[in-house]
Amino acid sequence: MARSVVERRRRGMTHRFLDHVGEVELELEAPSEAGIFEAALAAFGDLVGGDGGEPARHEVALAGSDRALLLVDWLAELVFLAEVEQFVPERLEALELGADGLRAAVAGRRDEPRPLVKAATLNGLSFERRDGGWRAHVVLDV
Amino acid sequence: MSSSTSELRPVRVDETLWEIPREARPGMRVPARVFADDELLQALAGDRSLEQLENVAMLPGIVEAALAMPDIHQGYGFPVGGVAATELPDGVVSPGGVGYDINCGVRLLALPLSDAELGARRTPLVHELSRAVPAGAGKHGRLELAGTELDAVLRDGPGALVARGVGREEDLERTESNGRLPDADPAAVSQRARERGAGQLGTVGSGNHFVELQRVERVFDQAAAQAFGLAEGQLTVLIHSGSRGLGHQVCTDHVRALDAAGGRYGIELPDRQLACAPASSPEGAAYLRAMAAAANFAFANRHALADAVRRAVGSVLGPAAEQQTRQVYDVAHNVAKVERHGGRDVLVHRKGATRAFPAGSDEIPAAYRAVGQPVFIPGSMGTASYVLAGEPGSMERSFGTTCHGAGRALSRTGARKRIGGRELRRQLEAQGIVVRCPTDKGLAEEAPFAYKDVERVVDVVERAGLARRVARLVPLGVVKG
Repeated sequence: MARSVVERRRRGMTHRFLDHVGEVELELEAPSEAGIFEAALAAFGDLVGGDGGEPARHEVALAGSDRALLLVDWLAELVFLAEVEQFVPERLEALELGADGLRAAVAGRRDEPRPLVKAATLNGLSFERRDGGWRAHVVLDV
Repeated sequence: MSSSTSELRPVRVDETLWEIPREARPGMRVPARVFADDELLQALAGDRSLEQLENVAMLPGIVEAALAMPDIHQGYGFPVGGVAATELPDGVVSPGGVGYDINCGVRLLALPLSDAELGARRTPLVHELSRAVPAGAGKHGRLELAGTELDAVLRDGPGALVARGVGREEDLERTESNGRLPDADPAAVSQRARERGAGQLGTVGSGNHFVELQRVERVFDQAAAQAFGLAEGQLTVLIHSGSRGLGHQVCTDHVRALDAAGGRYGIELPDRQLACAPASSPEGAAYLRAMAAAANFAFANRHALADAVRRAVGSVLGPAAEQQTRQVYDVAHNVAKVERHGGRDVLVHRKGATRAFPAGSDEIPAAYRAVGQPVFIPGSMGTASYVLAGEPGSMERSFGTTCHGAGRALSRTGARKRIGGRELRRQLEAQGIVVRCPTDKGLAEEAPFAYKDVERVVDVVERAGLARRVARLVPLGVVKG
């Protein structure tokens, strides 16, 4: 198991791919709202990643006060970077999550990401407090 | 996600139609109807497609019924295989009712030789197809268009490529809507969508997209097959692709815009992915202009892929074979179109469903008008596909629509648990099918058992009077995205 996965789990951030007949349904859990975004990045990296390529880094700035929609926008940004920049995200270098949006620096590789994910949808979208932490659901169109 | 499906089970209307009454759940404006036989209907208990169909029945302006074809399965917002018509001018348009892959569709080419005449050149031909057609991770096609050149494709579809020497004029007439949806506005397509689409014209993409070499195994309707130029033993190539990243981004952009706009029109729905606005509203009209542009891009994409297929045919089989490779037709299965049904103008959303107009329609090419519109139903990888022709029942029962494929029955993860890509490749090759796929993982996800039985799906639409069988095609080689 990669060290980054162990580290994320130690910090209580997990992602699961739930069974969905047509698409990919993500369940994300984390002790904080910011952790949900980090877990989403890890899930996306699992879906599209390989293990080669040159190191790369991208900065992301998104506006929006609705956390669930911000999560969709975050994943949409990763879809865009994968398709246009061939960027496979691996880890967050920085994340500032504010009331009106987020700013992030994402490290990864410029590779040939698997062109699996078309979009993040609003179907069954949720982002809520759960058991002292946070849980989110989002369905990806693949 | 918790389920909110009504407790009422579908009631049988006739041997191929089931109905969930409007009273089943608060908010339903019309009944939900499913074309299925007993087995296909029972299989729906395993997913949430009926709940999604009930949600569609809540769309403002929906008329008659929310419909599902027999290949229905759970999607996002709309079920795949869903059909909804909203009355114009103020019925809603919902981008989720079209989907992210706007104008995903299929195009069939007929080659001028038989499988027997192809002989030992089968493997070289499939190899050449895989070289000619960028699939999977390869992003770039042969055409790199930007600026006004891309605008021309968004506005005019494949006609803009014919003007550049790609493909043939005769292909345009043999494309649904002549490959050009009206009111397409390149300016309604975001810069981000353009960036995603740049370089993707003439590429297959991933997932269930493919280019398949086939043989006409059986003709059911000689007159229609003759009109379509198909005969038993003949080779065909079926192309399945859509609007690629450009269309995905158009949908992403406009779902968000309509999600924000819905409240202004007093629209409340149980699933945000059904985000919608009146078709006559500024937001709805903007989506329709962008959707039409993305649809034209998709028609152009399949047109460019067909051009690449012809070149591959020429490379392996010679220039005469290339010249005589004809386009049978091209159909969309993710689109919203203004049509006239029941004496009124409606916006027909087809999400994983195919237009299937019957004989006599002036929307059909003159050469096919006596037999009905061609419809192509890809089976799962390794199984048969069908050529159908539209029947009058489609106009009476389903807004001129039939199914679009076999329909998924098993998740991608579930498919991978049951078979590895290498083993599946071995099994397909043991059947004599030449396979080209960039990843074993992607191959396993599209295993034949992950789909419903296409024979059963086609049987239902035929018995329902939506379309009839013309020919059965069996795979000889597949290039997977």
